[in-house]
Amino acid sequence: MSQSATIIEQRQTIDALETPVIQIWDGVLALPLIGSVDTRRAQLMNEQLLHRIVETGSEIVLVDISGVPVVDTAVSRHLLETVAAARLLGADVIIVGLSATTAMTLVQLGESLSGVTTRTTMAKGLQLALKQLGYVVERTADAERSA
Amino acid sequence: MTDVPIIKVGSTLIATIHENLTDAEAFAFQEVLNARLERFDATAVLIDVTLVETIDSFLGRLLKEIALGARLLGANTVIAGIQPAVAMTLVELGLDLDGVRTVLSTERGLALLARDAAGQPSRGH
Repeated sequence: MSQSATIIEQRQTIDALETPVIQIWDGVLALPLIGSVDTRRAQLMNEQLLHRIVETGSEIVLVDISGVPVVDTAVSRHLLETVAAARLLGADVIIVGLSATTAMTLVQLGESLSGVTTRTTMAKGLQLALKQLGYVVERTADAERSA
Repeated sequence: MTDVPIIKVGSTLIATIHENLTDAEAFAFQEVLNARLERFDATAVLIDVTLVETIDSFLGRLLKEIALGARLLGANTVIAGIQPAVAMTLVELGLDLDGVRTVLSTERGLALLARDAAGQPSRGH
């Protein structure tokens, strides 16, 4: 196989790996981002996400950015695009996995992601999502006793 | 007259925009919709764009104006059924329809408008 064919194949494998959109609850999608987000990837991500929103009829999307090493102006712009596009399909985006460093960087860059709901962890994001959808998650008394 | 049919169901006006809406038709639709809102006792408008596969900056901006205008005339307005490709285009054009509520499907749009009418707080934009 020629070198360019190998590169193309690898590119395709990476494409498939880099934008997993997972349905984690009825009406809730999760998009864990790992690694850097460039324009090409952001576009691919948006496309996949929007199609999944339509397929699953989801109302909330949790975008986890804890695996993104550097969240700079460009990345934050891409995220805002994702939020705007999902909103047009009637889905709310919650950005989760913000670290203290990321928050400080964003504020210093003047990118405060205004108008976007954010949470520090995926767990908190899911809690909020379930609450917004009107789900109540409770532990049974049995489980509490054995815990 | 306009080529966009506007149906009145109860106090809701439902308009379905077809695939190849010309600029002139879009303008006509805006006028007719506003005239209907003025004349009838309509409290809600649902604009269904499921059939629209591609959009340009003109139609995107006009849609926003139509929706915001309908709101000024006292009607809750929802745009339903924006296709993924259309959403991407709108975002790329910087037209994020701020202040306009958008939902996935006509069904959800009607449910949202019904909740509005019932006076319940709605989880929408």
